Amino acid sequence: MLIQEGMGVQEKLALLADAAKYDVACTSSGVDRKNKPGTLGNAVSAGLCHSFAADGRCISLLKILFTNQCIYDCRYCVNRRSNDTRRTAFTPDEVCRLTIEFYRRNYIEGLFLSSGILHSPDYTMDLLYQTLWKLRNEYRFNGYIHIKAIPGADPALVERVGLLADRMSVNLELPTSEGLKRLAPAKTREKILRPMRQIQRGIQAQRQEIIPYRGGRRFVPAGQSTQMIVGATPENDYQMISVAEALYRNYDLKRVFYSAFVRVNDDSLLPALPGGPPLLREHRLYQADWLMRFYGFEAGELLSSKQPNFNVFLDPKCDWALRHLEQFPVEINKASYGMLLRVPGVGVKSAKRIAAARRSAVLDFPDLKRIGVVLKRAVYFITCNGRMMYPLKIDQDFITSQLLGDERRNAWDISQRDAYRQMSMFDDGFMQVQPDPEEKAGVLAGQL
Amino acid sequence: MTVFTCTDTFEGILCGVYDAWMSRLGHRNVSLELSGMGNVQMFTEYRQVQETAEKAEKVIHSVQEKAGQQVYEQIFRASLSHEEQKADRIYRFLIYALHYGSVILEQIQIPAVYEIFQMNRNVGNEAHLLIEFIRFSQTKDGVLFGVVGPKNDVTILMAPHFADRLCGENWIIYDEKRKKAVVHRAGGAWMVVEIEEEGWKERMEMSGDQQEFESLWKTFHTHIAIEERTNPVCQRGHLPLRFRPYMTEFQ
Repeated sequence: MLIQEGMGVQEKLALLADAAKYDVACTSSGVDRKNKPGTLGNAVSAGLCHSFAADGRCISLLKILFTNQCIYDCRYCVNRRSNDTRRTAFTPDEVCRLTIEFYRRNYIEGLFLSSGILHSPDYTMDLLYQTLWKLRNEYRFNGYIHIKAIPGADPALVERVGLLADRMSVNLELPTSEGLKRLAPAKTREKILRPMRQIQRGIQAQRQEIIPYRGGRRFVPAGQSTQMIVGATPENDYQMISVAEALYRNYDLKRVFYSAFVRVNDDSLLPALPGGPPLLREHRLYQADWLMRFYGFEAGELLSSKQPNFNVFLDPKCDWALRHLEQFPVEINKASYGMLLRVPGVGVKSAKRIAAARRSAVLDFPDLKRIGVVLKRAVYFITCNGRMMYPLKIDQDFITSQLLGDERRNAWDISQRDAYRQMSMFDDGFMQVQPDPEEKAGVLAGQL
Repeated sequence: MTVFTCTDTFEGILCGVYDAWMSRLGHRNVSLELSGMGNVQMFTEYRQVQETAEKAEKVIHSVQEKAGQQVYEQIFRASLSHEEQKADRIYRFLIYALHYGSVILEQIQIPAVYEIFQMNRNVGNEAHLLIEFIRFSQTKDGVLFGVVGPKNDVTILMAPHFADRLCGENWIIYDEKRKKAVVHRAGGAWMVVEIEEEGWKERMEMSGDQQEFESLWKTFHTHIAIEERTNPVCQRGHLPLRFRPYMTEFQ
């Protein structure tokens, strides 16, 4: 496993982008920063996605590894030591030049730099630091930088890197320490959580400063994020979202990403996934994640140890609403903002618009449609001026069967991408039994 | 019915609003149209709006005074829309806005307000997407040159973003459909230029390292996708096909 010399930038980029693509985080959000004379770039807090790859994921940052050489042997990882792949490394100047030239042409929003572990965590972290320092000070880059904190690296190095980057992340990879022990023997939970705690403390300490040091760079201004692999170990959804909730509460994380496990290595400890990556499960976890961050739900409300996994056919919010029909229907003109958010078919934007509009008018169903409420789902759960849109029963079985039609199709679309086909008059998609030979002959002869 | 026809510019529409309002025929008996759009109707009187800076100024002043800056921004953005009926919609909206003030923006349930809201959203979304999707290429003199073909006239909304981001660069954003460009000089201000002359685009020669970075970008774009997750429907949802002819990675 030697680093191959004399490889062109083109080849390196192909290899190191390939090696980095299993990391999901590609957001450029969380910080608003204006440009200064003499530098290149700014940052927009909402984040910008400059392109979308063939898998439908956004490309916001130039997501690359510094090197795909690694001393660890994590079972799930493409770059593990025991894999016989071509190894290479960028030089700091190559990374800087790529970033600057791509950024000028508006291809990217910034740099996402991660790395395999070359020699030792400290050595690798130092390489990343040198690259960032060059990019910020020599190349005068003022755009977005997301960097990985290498577990096990010296806290002093993490601190210095944090002052150059916008967002830092440490990947939790697996939600339980048993899973980590099984699949990533060289990593421990403590090793991962330590830099996470350090970054959190750094951000908090700076928040408490009364007069921030002007002109100086802030420490990780866009916060930190992490990533968990879904479906590599037998953890259930309840464990996953409980861990995510704990991370949001105790570590002030900005985002937890979920990455459907892709079986890149042939290893006896990894699960075989004949149906491809568990995309629907990943989708449900993201839905739940949003409910926890923006809709005021708690992990314990969505799932419990009795019902540890999400319903395949219903999204988590509908599922919750159906289990709590005693709280519905909700009167749109009176309900609190918090309760509006819990109605299926009402999102954060429409709830805000309802709260603003009803101050000076009484809302009715056509108004809700303009406001952006998805009435298809919401009709079962709301009243306007004490009336429902149609005379509907508030009955669990009835509503479930009504909602299932839609949701089942969505679930099917996610799990069976591109498997649909155009229906035609001559489709026999619903025929289970083959017609008998006589009938076939009859049809051919024109006897209908 | 009296129809006031005006040109497809912000000032033109404002002058139309002024004339229609001051004609004192009653809001129900007047409407606004962009000249050259729509069919001519029977039993209708058509009046061409005389456009003067003074009329536009007056409307702007009273909008800012009575309805506030936000309403003013909303009608400006609505005037960039591709909708044919935008002039009349702005007029109908201003009837409410000048009466109720800035609170009107929250009343999306009123159809006249909703139309403006939805035109604004459409224009704003397209400007946002083009800020993301525009691709610059570098000419021999080091000028960054980007071409777009938007539905709405959004180049003017894109300019401030790039004026900040690429403040040290010379750049041009060219709207292919409207034949106009936003031009920015390094370290200076930006301005909108109408370009009638043909062939100047071809005259801008691309620099030598252009090929290098374009092919590097294409390499990156293909390699960053995970094969097992291929999902063209999702990709199309986020990045509609109409933007792709202008984008390096899809050329």
